[in-house]
Amino acid sequence: MSETFETAVRAVDLRREFPDGVAVDSLTLDVPIGSVLALLGPNGAGKTTTIRLLNGILRPHRGWSRVLGFDPATQGDELRHRTGVLTENAGLDDRLTARENLTITARLRGIGPTEASKRVDDLLDRFGMRSHADQRCQGFSTGQRRRVALARCLIGDPELVFLDEPTSGLDPAATDDVVGIIDSLARERGSTVILCTHFLGEAARVADRMAILHAGRLVLSGRPDQLAAEMFPHLEVTIELSQTLADAPATMIELANTSGVVSVASAGVDGRQLAMEVAHRDVIARVNEMLVARGFSIFGITTRTRDLSDVYHVVQQRLDPGNRGLRAAERDAADQLDRSDLVEEAA
Amino acid sequence: MTIAEPLPSLLTERPPRWRPDISVIRTIIAKDLTAIRRSKAIVLPMLLVPGLLLVVLPAVIALFARSKTSPDLSNALSNLPSAMTKPILSLPPREQLLMLVNGYLLAPLFLIVPLMVSAVLAADAFAGEKERRTLESLLHLPVRDRDLYVAKVLVAYLPSVALSWIGFMIFAFISNVIGWPVMHRIFVPNGMWLAVIGWVAPAVAALGLGIMVRVSARADTTQEANQLGGAVIMPLILASVGQSTGLLLLDLTTVFLVGAFIWLVAFWLIRGGMKRFDRDRIASRL
Repeated sequence: MSETFETAVRAVDLRREFPDGVAVDSLTLDVPIGSVLALLGPNGAGKTTTIRLLNGILRPHRGWSRVLGFDPATQGDELRHRTGVLTENAGLDDRLTARENLTITARLRGIGPTEASKRVDDLLDRFGMRSHADQRCQGFSTGQRRRVALARCLIGDPELVFLDEPTSGLDPAATDDVVGIIDSLARERGSTVILCTHFLGEAARVADRMAILHAGRLVLSGRPDQLAAEMFPHLEVTIELSQTLADAPATMIELANTSGVVSVASAGVDGRQLAMEVAHRDVIARVNEMLVARGFSIFGITTRTRDLSDVYHVVQQRLDPGNRGLRAAERDAADQLDRSDLVEEAA
Repeated sequence: MTIAEPLPSLLTERPPRWRPDISVIRTIIAKDLTAIRRSKAIVLPMLLVPGLLLVVLPAVIALFARSKTSPDLSNALSNLPSAMTKPILSLPPREQLLMLVNGYLLAPLFLIVPLMVSAVLAADAFAGEKERRTLESLLHLPVRDRDLYVAKVLVAYLPSVALSWIGFMIFAFISNVIGWPVMHRIFVPNGMWLAVIGWVAPAVAALGLGIMVRVSARADTTQEANQLGGAVIMPLILASVGQSTGLLLLDLTTVFLVGAFIWLVAFWLIRGGMKRFDRDRIASRL
């Protein structure tokens, strides 16, 4: 019988070794019920091993955990009735149809044939795979496979969902769908989601908590907005002007001396942009008024709220300053998706 | 705040006795059989070898025995110990070839069928899951290790025994029908064939399975498992064919003893495989 529990996942000092090294070390982590945790880190950071430990298919060599009130090491089967896992590769049997893959999973989860059939149809509908239901998975595209695998992961109506690279190989539209589904899992159904991904943009959109792993160790965890506020206490503002400020050095000096302005610099190819860091939003209005009074027309003001991906990049840079290629790749991946910039049109 | 480690439940209560979950086992068997049925790479060798050994070969021998040029085996058989050849030499010359080959010599060759089929299916069931990268998602399901193991063992074992028995029935039918003009009676199955079919063949299927279960734990692909398994199984086939040809011509007691020994080895291998079939061990190799 499950104990009463307040957190979906509590891991304390978890360590797991393999013959080729330590995969997870001293991992202590709490995940509240109903939250979406983005588990981030480069390849080999220990994300997949963490999922395997928390779902009880690997035993820790040190430490302990409680997941939905169960000890994964000794109560794995009871726990796995309440979890759903999307593995990094879809893990579908190519020789079976989409319907068969889902139905077998439902049956193995103890769902009766009638209910299983209903759930399979519902999920295939929801993931836009109904018309392919009776085709063998062998011929499916990466996106189709990922959809079927995600449907399979959800067939047991899990309380806790582990998603390992859920949007890998998906086109932007399919990615949007999946991100929407992840969001609805937590917001509408109250499921807890642990999301491992390289795509920081999608993580930033859905995660209300983040944890960064590096070489098997947890280096940072918390709420992305709080972490970002701690790391980036100032607001980044870009102002598009009608003319360049290069010809108005007095205005630049005045701006720099304005209360609440932390930094100011001319930007853009033609110098018509003003890149500033300000202490708080009220400063933007003052700057706006001052520039208008000096005869500048303002075409737009953009503020950028720092998010999970900024936090991640800073942490990675501190941990591994020499690995520019990796950071660039991660940044590129983040740039492919919505960066959750907050854009405000100037009046 | 200090977080105290909860007392592991294993220390306070004994783990419950394992009772097989028939529904889970049946579902996994049904899944694997459906997948196997759709795989030409598995089905073709499973049908070709039994087809050759149990249909084509006995039919050719029976047809040859019916021809007027059927060879006289008296001289060849007279060189063997009389105890072995007595039942055959006591027959009319025309019947000797059919009785020798279809009645006795094909029996040990027939053992290749359960051995090969169980080995191929076991390689697919265990190493094949790794190769297709479906094993991890299976491990993440609420299926107990032992239920999964039993299902995988049965999915290899049951078809191999069923195919052997069905193949034998076809063999007996062909031998008796085509050989009727020569024998004028039903001569297969004789006591030796019944012992082979009912006792030795299931044991040999279990042996092939047991070997492949052990081998598959170390292999990452079906091909690798088949290669490793083949290195163990092929010498066994050759030895069993050579030895059992002589044994089958001796007496039923020896055949039963040989069968019992094979059962013991197979049981040891399969039981050992069950002890080693542990989620953590398997997931560590993913």
